[in-house]
Order: sequence, then C-alpha cells, then structure tokens
Amino acid sequence: MRTDFFKKPLDFPSEEMIYENLAYFGGKAILPEDNRKTNFPYITKEDIMQMLISIQHEPNKVIDEFANKYRGYVGANYAIPTASGTSSLHLALVGAGVQPGDEVIIPNFTFIATAQAVVAAKAIPVFTDIDPKTYCMDVTQVEELITSKTKAIMPVHVHGLPADLPQLQEICYKHGIKLVEDASHAHSASIDNKVCGSIGDAAGQSLMADKNFPVGGEGGIAFFKKEEDYNRALEFLDASGIDYRMSWIAAAFGISQLERLPYYDKVRARNAQFLSDALEETDLFIPPYVPEGYRHSYNMYRIKLNPAAKGLEDLEDYKVKEAIQRIIMEEGIFAREWQNRPIPGHLPFKNQKGFGNQYPFSLSEVNRKYKVSDYPQTLDMFRNTLTICRELRSPIEYERIQSYALAFKKIDQNPDMIRKVVEEIGELELPYEKDARLG
Amino acid sequence: MDKKKQFQISFVLSRVLNSGIIMSIEKNEKEINGLEKLVAQITKLSYVSVFNSYTGALHGALNGKDIVHGDFVTLSNTSENEQKFLNWLGVFNLNNNETDAFDRISVSWDNISDFEKVLLNHSTVVVDLTDLGFGPCAVVATDEKSVWEKSERLKIFGAFDLRTMWTQEESHPDIQPGIQFNYRVSPLVAACAKVSLIKRGVAVEN
Repeated sequence: MRTDFFKKPLDFPSEEMIYENLAYFGGKAILPEDNRKTNFPYITKEDIMQMLISIQHEPNKVIDEFANKYRGYVGANYAIPTASGTSSLHLALVGAGVQPGDEVIIPNFTFIATAQAVVAAKAIPVFTDIDPKTYCMDVTQVEELITSKTKAIMPVHVHGLPADLPQLQEICYKHGIKLVEDASHAHSASIDNKVCGSIGDAAGQSLMADKNFPVGGEGGIAFFKKEEDYNRALEFLDASGIDYRMSWIAAAFGISQLERLPYYDKVRARNAQFLSDALEETDLFIPPYVPEGYRHSYNMYRIKLNPAAKGLEDLEDYKVKEAIQRIIMEEGIFAREWQNRPIPGHLPFKNQKGFGNQYPFSLSEVNRKYKVSDYPQTLDMFRNTLTICRELRSPIEYERIQSYALAFKKIDQNPDMIRKVVEEIGELELPYEKDARLG
Repeated sequence: MDKKKQFQISFVLSRVLNSGIIMSIEKNEKEINGLEKLVAQITKLSYVSVFNSYTGALHGALNGKDIVHGDFVTLSNTSENEQKFLNWLGVFNLNNNETDAFDRISVSWDNISDFEKVLLNHSTVVVDLTDLGFGPCAVVATDEKSVWEKSERLKIFGAFDLRTMWTQEESHPDIQPGIQFNYRVSPLVAACAKVSLIKRGVAVEN
C-alpha cells in the first residue's frame, strides 16, 4: 500500500542554530534533507469512512449534502457545487448577470483562472494593479476603470487575505454594478466575522487539493446572495449544455474534511502568527499585513524583503531575493516565487484568441493592449517577495514552524553572505521577463 | 441506481481506497497518466487527454481539430445537450451526411468489456466515462499528436502548463493557448475509471 506517513520525527530545534554556518556554504541545514516534506491535504480514517457511507447513497444526494453543509458554514444563501474553481467563477459571473461583451474589473495578480473565467463568461477582463501592502486589488484604481460596459468587479482574496470589500461594495452600489468574490484562497477568511464567499453578490471558490478546504482532488463551489442570480446561473447551465458537475467522490471527501476545517484553520493561524512574530524580530523580513477585523486564511504566506535594513540597498532587489531563495532552500525551507508575471502578460491575454477568432475580445470597442508595465506595484512585488505555500498550509508540527522561524533569523544574521551569493549569481533575468508560470 | 452498477462502483472504489489514496498535486498525476495510457492501449490511439466532463472532452476534440468559435463541424446524431454546447461555443454543426469530425462513444457497465469494437476508423474519438458512475469524466484519444497538443492547451494546468511550471520556458510557443478551462479531473475519479478499465466489468479477484 502506498503511504505518505512520515516515519521520522523532527528533532527539537535550538536557538543556537542561527549562529551556525549557512547550509549554502556547507554548514548544517536547519531542517535535515530527509525531513523537509509536508503533507497536504491530511487524509484520515474519517475520510475513508465517509466514502463508505456515501457510496450507499445516490450521487446527487451526496453532492447536495456537501453543498448544503458548506453553504451553511460560509453563510451564503445559495450554492452550486462545481467541478473546479474556474467553473465556479464562471457561474458566479454569469449568475451576477455578466453578458457577452461586458467588462469585469479584476486584479492583475491572481491565478490565471480568475481572468479566464471572465473570458469564459464571454466578457472582457480589465485589470488593476495591486495594493503593495495587501497584494489585493488596488481599490483606488477601480473607479477610473469603470465604463458603461462594466458589469462587475471581481476582487481576489489574494493568498487568503480578504480584499477591501467594504470599499468595493460602496463603489458597486454607486455605479450599480455587481460585486463577485474570487474566494479561491480564502476558505474561512472573513471581514468582521463575515466569511468570504458570503459578502458579495456572488462568489466562486476553488476546492482543489491545494486549497485550505480540499474536496477529493478537484472541485469548486459558486455562491449567490439573491435567488434570481442563482437561478440565472442554473438557467445558463441548462442553456449551454456545459457539464460543470462535481463528482460525488469529491463531495464525499468534502463532507468529512469540512468537519476538520476549523481545527486545521486554527493550526494554520497559530503557525502563521508564530512565524510573523519571529519575522518581526528580523530586519530583513516583513510578514504579511492583516488589517484590523480581517481574518487571513494563509493559503499562502508572502514575505516582503527589506534589503536596505541590512545595508544591501546597492544591490538589485530581485538578485537579493534570488540569493535569499537559494540560501533558504538549502536550509530546508521552501520559500519561492508564486507567479512571476502579471496575468495580462500571459499568452492568452497577449494573443487574445479567446474561444477562437478573437471572441469575445472582438466584442470590445476598445483595442486593449495588455502590458505588464501597467502594473508597477505587482512587478515590484515579484522582485522583492518570497512565498511559503504548502509548507504553512499543512497543519505542521510546532518544531517545524520553529525551524522555519530559525531559518529566517539565521539568514538575517548573514547579510554579507547574501551579498556574496548575489555576486556569485551575476547576470539574472527579471522574474517577469521569463516565460509565465501558473504557480 | 441498479444493483449491478452499485456493486461495480463499490468494488472499484474499494480497490482504489485499498491502494492508498494520495491527493497531492504532484503525485496524483500518476493516476491521470495511468488512465491515459490504458485508454491508449484499448483504443490503439497513441495520444490521450483526460477531461473532467464529456463537454470538456468534446471541447478538447474540437480545439484539437482547430474547430473554434465561428467555425463549422460535422457531428451526426447529436443529443440536445451536445447541440446546446456547440451553440454555446459558437460552433455550427452542419449535421449533414459527410463523415463526422471524430467519433463519440459512451462507456457504461454494459459495454465496458468491448466498447472499442464499435469504434469506426476515425483517428480521433471522444470516450465518455461518466456513465461508470464516479463522476463526470471523459477522454480524447487520437493518433494525431497535434490534436492532443491542442486539446491539452485548452486545459489550465494541462501538460504544457505543468511543463512550464518546472522549466519556466514555453516548450510550444507555436501552439498558444486562448481560452482555457480547468478541465482537470479529480485523481480519485481518474483512479476509479482506470481500475474500471483494467477490470473491464469482471468484479472478482484472481
């Protein structure tokens, strides 16, 4: 039988480790090479038992049970379970009334599915830059992008931090347009205890295996506030013939995973707070910003670098980032880039082929040329941040989060070594000049 | 659900669960690749691409054949749903007597043992595995590499996107993606479809 069970416990780390030589230069790594992997999602006997229970029921009943339970957890009025996050976003937009040729305002920094869902709704994506503190949509840019064609704003709760929905909601009311949440990173995230997915007119959310709340492999769910929007999405499914149904196997896993989601959320929040507190003690690393009243779900954890605080401001920031990435990987902590180019710079938005023959881009009266240089804050973020993904998403043990914190502190002790690695690196392509990666 | 189908589903699922469930992104590729290889063996068509629905695979086959929005296709005996989907894609079905652009077949527990026998001599076929009961799942099987490539390009995190994740270099800039959907199937569904096609309806252990 295949297993991903860890057979080797991690030793308790010691504060003394931060004064040892960097592993990059031959010292002992904080995390030993044979003990760096993290598991996600956690699969337990409850998941297997639920599967054995669900197999005795009609598939649609299993899917409905899952959707109703999760809808209740989120606090949404209506829900449609789907095969993927992309399809849930597509349904959310269509339900919100987005029609062919309409415009939808979205952030340029997101997973490509956000923008492709707009094209799937046969609408035109209009991109904003990001707020450099939150990495979410820059709300100050939104109003100037609104035209008579704008039907919706779809912010993304980037990495699990809710976007500034209160301000966006005001803009939507003022202009009579819909607010659709891309809550794919934001399971259990909230603003003033209102859970993401239930705040806007509609929402789409991925439930795939690398999300904080995973169903059995691939899945998604669309939420709606109003019955008419929910019905419009159902009517679209019938009229288009498209099969976006969730598998009952995925749903069965969702039922049992949902029972444990609050526990995993607490461990993630505890671990993220531990790491943030440790990074606050360094000069070089700045933890994620979380506004008052906002609950971050930490699907990903983005760390900002501050080379100037260590006298490294004369070096190119993206080279410092590359050097730190190389050094910390050798210590056994996988901090890396997540995305390297604004979505408008990805091939589907450069070529605007759409469904073929440039549809729906051909419906636009504006000859829009998407350029990455229109998003300077995002480009800066790519140059000077690193992201921890699965390694914090997984409800890791205390000694592991301690080790992560020590690794960052160890690097903070060694600015001269960072400089040395930057010199070794020499010429380096900017992250956003490389071909686009999806993650 | 009829008892024969429920028994087959239970049998297959228990085999999948017994083999160890691994849902992590990296490892689940094995299940999907395994299904692709098996379909290639059965259909004798070299290139196979798995989708999370029949309409997804239909879209994949059309894209593979360069039939896109505003184009025409010939597909005979289309169901109401197929016709709706073609309309939504903006593809006009000529519905005439010419040869179909590709074959379509649905696999159920009634024909799983020998469904390939009825396949015509087409180089591309869409095989719907949804009726097996594990959830929406279908494949495009073809002996034309370019059809496979363009089908994969339709998928977010299809073969080309996955390759770029590691190489950070577009391996096929000549086949650029346009609209992309997340047509990726759950590895658990893929694993169940794979075991079903291995057993081919024979639910006894040797």
